Amino acid sequence: MRSLWLQVAAVTTINLKSIGQRRWLSLSTVIAIALVVIVLLAFLAMANGFQRTIAGSGADDIAIVLRAGSQAEINSTVSRDQVRLIEDGPGIARGSDGKPLISPELYLVVDGIKRSTKTKANLPLRGIGEQGSESRKGITITEGRMFNRGSNEVVVGKALLREFEGLDLGSTVSFGATRWNVVGIFESGGSVFESEIWADLNVVQSLFNRNNIVQTVRARLTGPAALNELKSYSDNDPRLKLDVKSEAAYFAEQASQTSDLIQKLGWPLAIAMALGAIAGALNTMYSSVASRATEIATLRAIGFGGFPAFVGTLAESLLLAAIGGLLGAAATYLIFDGVTASTLGGNFTQVVFDFKLSPWLIAEGVALALIVGLIGGLFPALRAARLPIVEGLYAN
Amino acid sequence: MNDFDLVRKNLFRRKLRASLMIVSILIAFMIFGVLAGFYRAFNAGEDRAAADRMITVNKINFTQPMPIAYFNRVKSVEGVRQVTFANWFGGYYQDPKNFIMALAIEPNTYFDVYRSEFEVAPDQLQAFMRDRGSAVVGESLAQKWGWKIGDRIPLNSNIFSQKSGGHTWDLTIAGIVKGKAEHVDTNFLLFQYPYFDETRSFGKDTIGWMILQTTSPENNDRVAKAIDAMFANSTAETSTDTEKAFGKAFAAQFGNIALIVLLVVGAAFVTILMIVGNTMALSIRERTREIGVLKTLGFSGPRILTMVLGESVLLALLGGIPGLAIAALIAMALRNSLANVAPAFSVSPTIALQGLGLMIALGLITGIIPALNAMRLRIATALGRG
Amino acid sequence: MTAEHPMVRLAGVAKRFTKGKETISIFDHLDMAIPRGDFIAVMGPSGSGKTTLLNLLGGIDRADAGEISVADRRIDGLSEGELAAWRAANIGFIFQFYNLMPMLTAAQNVELPLLLTKLRSKERAARVQTALSVVGLADRMKHRPREMSGGQQQRVAIARAIVSDPNLLLCDEPTGDLDRQSADEILSILQLLNGELGKTIVMVTHDPAAANYAKRVLHLDKGRFVERELAA
Repeated sequence: MRSLWLQVAAVTTINLKSIGQRRWLSLSTVIAIALVVIVLLAFLAMANGFQRTIAGSGADDIAIVLRAGSQAEINSTVSRDQVRLIEDGPGIARGSDGKPLISPELYLVVDGIKRSTKTKANLPLRGIGEQGSESRKGITITEGRMFNRGSNEVVVGKALLREFEGLDLGSTVSFGATRWNVVGIFESGGSVFESEIWADLNVVQSLFNRNNIVQTVRARLTGPAALNELKSYSDNDPRLKLDVKSEAAYFAEQASQTSDLIQKLGWPLAIAMALGAIAGALNTMYSSVASRATEIATLRAIGFGGFPAFVGTLAESLLLAAIGGLLGAAATYLIFDGVTASTLGGNFTQVVFDFKLSPWLIAEGVALALIVGLIGGLFPALRAARLPIVEGLYAN
Repeated sequence: MNDFDLVRKNLFRRKLRASLMIVSILIAFMIFGVLAGFYRAFNAGEDRAAADRMITVNKINFTQPMPIAYFNRVKSVEGVRQVTFANWFGGYYQDPKNFIMALAIEPNTYFDVYRSEFEVAPDQLQAFMRDRGSAVVGESLAQKWGWKIGDRIPLNSNIFSQKSGGHTWDLTIAGIVKGKAEHVDTNFLLFQYPYFDETRSFGKDTIGWMILQTTSPENNDRVAKAIDAMFANSTAETSTDTEKAFGKAFAAQFGNIALIVLLVVGAAFVTILMIVGNTMALSIRERTREIGVLKTLGFSGPRILTMVLGESVLLALLGGIPGLAIAALIAMALRNSLANVAPAFSVSPTIALQGLGLMIALGLITGIIPALNAMRLRIATALGRG
Repeated sequence: MTAEHPMVRLAGVAKRFTKGKETISIFDHLDMAIPRGDFIAVMGPSGSGKTTLLNLLGGIDRADAGEISVADRRIDGLSEGELAAWRAANIGFIFQFYNLMPMLTAAQNVELPLLLTKLRSKERAARVQTALSVVGLADRMKHRPREMSGGQQQRVAIARAIVSDPNLLLCDEPTGDLDRQSADEILSILQLLNGELGKTIVMVTHDPAAANYAKRVLHLDKGRFVERELAA
C-alpha cells in the first residue's frame, strides 16, 4: 500500500513538473476552462443578485392585497370600499396612535433616463398612504427628509440614483406635465423598493387623474400567523375578490421568473462551452501522454504499475482544471461582483440589482471546471496506463 | 494527388486530435449562431422599423393612456399620411401562464399603417370589420393553438374587466394575419377597439398609443414637434418618436443584451483561438522534418505557407459549418417557446455569411504563425532534428 | 550447479511481429541458457532480434511461444501487474538514451525504483548514495540530467539500474550514444559490477570494442546464435 502511494506520488510529481514543457498548451487549457467558469458565474451572479434584491424585499408579517388573478401590482385595482373592508380586517397591527398600519397604494410607470444608454426606461412611481413606510420594514431616509403629505414632493430609492439621471436630492423632475421636488433619498436594505420613487398617494391620484383609484393595499400584520386570518376573512366576503399574500411570497414569485430565465440562459451556454473546453483539455492531455511516452515506459520497465501512470495524468488534468476554475472565479469576482445592472422586473419597471457571487456559486463554477478536468484527463490517463512498454521506449 | 489531398491527409494524420479540434470549433460556432440569431430576432423590431413610421405615447410613460380624442387631432397634422392606435389588453388564454399578445386596435386604419408588414385576405378583413366581436390572429399564434377561422376564443385579461363583471371576452376568429417578410412576427391577436371600449369597466375613451405614418421620413422631426406641441401643458402630454428609436429604447430596457452576447461569443472564440492555435503550432512542429523533406523535393516556401494555412482554414470550416447548421436546428426548435421574446428566431443567411467570414478569419489567425515558421524553415535545421 | 540453475533459460521461444499484412518472424525456436555471473555481449545486424531478446528477458514484451525463466522463475505466464513487481525486484535496465526523467535530480532518478520497495526514506537515501558512489557520481546528487554529460547521465542510469540490487542487468546499446572515453568508463563500471558484485549482465551492442569487455559474445543472426568464446 505504502509502495503504491509512493509510486503515485512520484509519477504525479513527474507529471506536474513536466507541465512547463507544454506551457502554452497547458495555459490555453487553463484559460479555456477559466472562460467557461467566467461565463457560468457571470450569469449565475446576475440571477443570484436579481433574486436577492427581489426576494430580499419581502417580509412574512406584511400582507399585500391585490385584485384576484392580477399577478402583479401594475395589473391590480382595489376599490375604496374594499380598502375600508381590509382596514377592518383581523390580524392587522396598529401604530402607537391606534390606527391600523395599512397603506393603500397606486403604482404608476413613469419614464426615467438610463445613465448608461441615455434611453428612456420604465420607473415605478408609487403613491403611498399615510402609513406607507410604517407598513414596511427597514425603510430609512439617508439624505434629506420624507415628503410632506399633500405636496408634490418625492423621495427616491438609493439604487435608482446610481442608474438613472436627474433624480438627485434637491432636483426637480417632471413626469409628463407634472413637476416634483426630490426631497429625500431612502434605503431599504438593498431591496427592490430602492428601485422606486415614492410620493403621497393623494397627490399622485389627483395629478395623474386617478382620483380614488388604488391598486394594492399593504398591511402590517400582528405576526406571520395573522396572514391566514386575513386571508380567510377576505375569501369569505363576496365583496372582496382579492388575493392576500405575504410580501415574501409575492416577491418570491416575482423573482423566480426572471432569475430562472437568466439561469436557463447561463447553464446551457456554460455547458456548451465546457464541451469545447473538454475537447481542448483532451487534446492537451493526450499531448502530455504522448510527450511523456518514453518516461512512462521507462518507469514501467523499472517496475512501476499502470495505476500510478493513470493517477499522474489525471492529477495533471485536474490541477490544470482547478487552476482554471479558481482563476475564472477570481476573475468573475473582480470583474462582475457588485456590478450594478437593471432590467425589467415583474411589474414592467426597472429593477436595479447588483451581480452577487456567493461561496456556493463559486463551488458550482469550480465543480464544472473539475468535471471538465476529469473528463479531459480520464481517457488520456487510461491511454497512459495501457501504453505498451516496448512502443513507449522507442516512441521518440 | 494534389496539394489539397496533402492538406487533407496532414490534417487527419492524427484523427483524434483533428476530431477534438473540430468539436471545439463546432461548439464555438454553434454558440455564435444561436446568440447572433437570438440577438437579431430580439432586435428585429428595430431592423424592421419603417423609416416613415412614428409612435406617439403619453409623455409620462408608454403604459399611460391618453384620450381617444387625440386620434382625430393627430390625423389633421400636416405631414401625417395615416394614423391608427392600439390599446394593450394584457391577454392570456385559459391559464395566466399562456400569455397572449393581444391588442384592441382601430380596425379601419391599422392594416393600412402596417400594410408593408401584414396581409389579411380581403374577404377575411371585411368579415373582421363587419363583426364587432371578432378578432384576427397572427399566423404563428393561430398555429400554436390550432385556431381556425370561425373558432370562438375566450380571451382573458389580467388588467381589464367587463362591465358585466368577469375578465373574459369571447372573440370569433374572422381572419388570419400573414407576415409579408421572413422576419415579421405574427405572434399576436388583434380585436376591435370600439367593442373593447364599450364593454370594459374602466378607462373608457382612452387609448394606449398611436402609430402614424408620415408623408416622408424627412417630415418626421417636424411632425413629432407639431404633435407634441399640440398637447403640451395638457393633462396628457405626448412624446412622439420614430418607430426605430422607440423599439431601440424598449429593447434597452431589458439590459445590455448586445454586450452580453458579445462577451459570451467573445469568450467562446478566445477559447478556441487558443486551443486551435496552440494545437496547430504543435502539429506543425512535429512535422518539421517532413516539411524539410518537402522543401528538398522542391516545394517553395510560399507553397508550404499556403498548405499550412489551407489546413487550418479547412479545420475551421469542418467545425464551423456543422456548428452553424446545429445552431439553425436549435433556433428552429426554440422558435415557438421564445416567440414572445425573440420572434422569428433563426440563423439567417446574413448570420451564416458572417459565420463563414469568421471561420476563414479563425483559420488564418490560428494558422499564420505556424505557417510562417514552416515557410521560413531552413532545410538543414529541419533535417538535423531527430 | 550453474548448468542446472542458470540465471536465464529460454526454451523454444518464438516471436513474430505483424506489420500491416506482413508477418515477420524474429525467432522461430530459440533456446539459450545464461549462467549466473556471466557477462554476455549480444551482437548482430539490425533486425536480427537483439533488442527483442532483451525485451523478452526483461518481461516488457511477450513471446508467442516457448518458456522463459529467470532465476528459476517462469515469467512467460505472469500477468502485467506480476511482471511489473517482478521487474522491480529482479531486473535493472540500462538504455541507449539513458531515459532519465528530465525534471528530477540524479538522486531522485536513482531513487525511483526504491519507491517500489518497503524501504523508509532514510534507507532509500543511503542506498541512493551507495549506488551513485559505485558509479563515481556521489558529488552530482543534486544535478539534473541536462546539467550532465552523456557519460554522466548513463552512469546515473546505471546507478538507477543497480540501486534495488537486481540479479540481472539488461543493457541496450549502453554506449551507443557516447564518445570512446565515456564508453570505456561505462564499460569498466559494467565489468566491475560483474566481477566484484557478481551481477549477471546481458548487453546488446554494435560496437566490437564494447563487446570486448564481456566474457562471451553471442552473435545473433536471423534468430539464431553463433557462439564464440573469448579469452577472459
